[in-house]
Amino acid sequence: MEPFTPVLPTKIYNDSNVPPGTFSVLNLPNANISLAQIEVAMMLETYHYDTLFDYHGKLSNLQHLKQEVIQEDAEGSLQTVVDEFSHRTKRRRLMGRSGNIRLGMMRHLFVVVDMSRAMEEADLKPSRLACSVKLLENFITEYFDQNPISQIGLIVTKNKRAEKLTELSGNPQLHISTLQKAASKQCQGEPSLQNAMDTAVQSLRHMPGHASREILILFGSLTSCDPGDILETVQTLQQQNIRCSIIGLAAEVRICKTLCSETQGSYGVILDERHYRELLMQHVTPPVAKADTEAALIRMGFPQHLSSGPPSLCMCHLDSGGVKGLSTSGYFCPQCKSKYCDLPVECKVCGLTLVSAPHLARSYQHLFPLTQFTETDLSTIEDGHSIRPQNHCFACQVVFTEQMAYSCSQCGQLFCMDCDIFIHDSLHSCPGCTASPQGEG
Amino acid sequence: MADENISNLLVVILDANPVWWGRIVSEGNQQQQISLTHCVDSLMVFCNAHLMMKHDNCLSFIVSHTSTSKFVFPQEDSASGVGENGQKDLPSDGKYEGFADVNDAIITELKNLLSAEDSKADDHSSEVPPTLLASALTMALCYIHRAERECPVGQKLKSRILVLKAAPDVSTQYMPIMNCIFAAQKSNTVIDACVLDEHSGFLQQAADITGGMYLKVPQTLALLQYLLWVFLPEPPVREQLILPSSMHIDYRAACFCHRRLVDIGFVCSVCLSIYCQFLPLCLTCQTRFKLPALPLARPKKKKKENTAPGK
Repeated sequence: MEPFTPVLPTKIYNDSNVPPGTFSVLNLPNANISLAQIEVAMMLETYHYDTLFDYHGKLSNLQHLKQEVIQEDAEGSLQTVVDEFSHRTKRRRLMGRSGNIRLGMMRHLFVVVDMSRAMEEADLKPSRLACSVKLLENFITEYFDQNPISQIGLIVTKNKRAEKLTELSGNPQLHISTLQKAASKQCQGEPSLQNAMDTAVQSLRHMPGHASREILILFGSLTSCDPGDILETVQTLQQQNIRCSIIGLAAEVRICKTLCSETQGSYGVILDERHYRELLMQHVTPPVAKADTEAALIRMGFPQHLSSGPPSLCMCHLDSGGVKGLSTSGYFCPQCKSKYCDLPVECKVCGLTLVSAPHLARSYQHLFPLTQFTETDLSTIEDGHSIRPQNHCFACQVVFTEQMAYSCSQCGQLFCMDCDIFIHDSLHSCPGCTASPQGEG
Repeated sequence: MADENISNLLVVILDANPVWWGRIVSEGNQQQQISLTHCVDSLMVFCNAHLMMKHDNCLSFIVSHTSTSKFVFPQEDSASGVGENGQKDLPSDGKYEGFADVNDAIITELKNLLSAEDSKADDHSSEVPPTLLASALTMALCYIHRAERECPVGQKLKSRILVLKAAPDVSTQYMPIMNCIFAAQKSNTVIDACVLDEHSGFLQQAADITGGMYLKVPQTLALLQYLLWVFLPEPPVREQLILPSSMHIDYRAACFCHRRLVDIGFVCSVCLSIYCQFLPLCLTCQTRFKLPALPLARPKKKKKENTAPGK
């Protein structure tokens, strides 16, 4: 630690408290403040003296302490430790999921963004709103990546009112651009939970019975300004089979908690940005379907992609004007032959849902989830069997350095932790099981 | 230059289905068809060319077989073995060691794999057993994931997978392969496909979704030329070249009931099974479906319900 040097002027002033001609510290300008600063600095230095007194060995439960202590890695960074913690929590979360549960695959989700004054707080950087918008953009892309035949809509609540930004639709670009435009405006007044939910209910009410109806509220304020009894709205939500989840940015609020538990949603209050992201991303995976959700066969079109033909305008760019949509290639609705440049989309002419087979295949990962790998201690395997165990990860060939490996319960191959997470997070099929001729992943 | 610190990782997956390659030989038209040795030779030249393009280009080679998929290069085990011996056999013909390592590893491992399989392969029927492409792809993606994780700060790694496929597709591998394709798309990995025999629907989709090249080699004897011209350039370079254009890809789904390709189908809202006609019960998840709402008045609707079970 560098010694503290107070900034001293070269000229020493006369002070009325000090007799003239004698030197005193009090002659200095701002003498009292400087003295206080010096005192604090010296006290800080004494803080390090405790390292001289070696009492570390005298602690009784030292063994216990050592286990809890967080160790830095070779580069002196805590990042690897933090990563490992987050990996473990992720594993624990994935463990909760298992197959053979009926999921709400066709989701209709309204995201309500609070834009009240409380969202201007800077406890998340740069502000609660900017952080939410950034995370929400990721959320929207990820949502459509994993729920290709689902829809999303955006609602903003500020100034005691709720405003619907986008109707339910399956176009991520539209939502993201609208959200960004809305976020550039100022946060105002108080939010209104009731108004926001009523707006969402008005649209969700008309969705077909087999759809999973959901509302997700990002709530920064601690208060809500409602025109009537909010419990009536909660009852409407229950009747309409709408699930309402809230992510609180400030502190737990009782009405939010009741609202979520009544409608079988989840309520979480964030700790920091990382936790915020985690809570938000939990809503990406399709929820377990409610017991009374109807099932139905939905008529869908599988349009072919034709790349040569006379140039024509596509239906999705008609509204925007200009010749952006003019091209020779596109997907043609099998029912009415109108052209679209991207899938999935609902045909604007005949209302048929147009998807492609890979879109449906993308959802199979939720329906046929991969079984969890079990954690195995490498040293115990060595004791049990005479043959030399596999010393490298089956998938990425990395030689095991840690004691722990993860083995698939079906094929028995060993994997390292990174592969375990990669396989369960994005790959969704086990390299070992697919390597047996009858394996179907 | 910005691209100074970008290294390219190429993972080659070779389909070494012994039955398929054996059939090619037994059919005897050696003048038109490529043999496995010729194919491996071409691939080795291609691999060496890739390593030669840039100093920090990396290579990995996976052989996909009917019963297993195996990493041939680089090998973790042999790397440690060399360390123990303390010395390596230097190539006798003055070949660059890097190339010699790759070629020797490929040849010895392939020999081991094929000779080990000889005894087992006898009891197979005349049908070509499926190559385990899905497992090779999952391993390749895990390896790429690891390579990207181990990549030093400031370095960028661009990875792609080249699949050299011979045997036909098997429908049981649909789901794992689709999972691989989406994982590759998520991690910005390009999948290139070079198909020798018949068109592969899986690989067409893989190449299309991940932005890779798909090519069915018109003349298999000229495999090396196709490899060097079409698959050696990196994806950014390919934009400057005129390459065989991607053909029309069929994204229609096959219905679960008759395996027919459908234009307009019915999808179960619970398990997303596809049917070509309306069914009252889902064959996959056993869900009972509500009959489609009839645009009728109330008294008439009652009548309709009475007749429904009779149908």
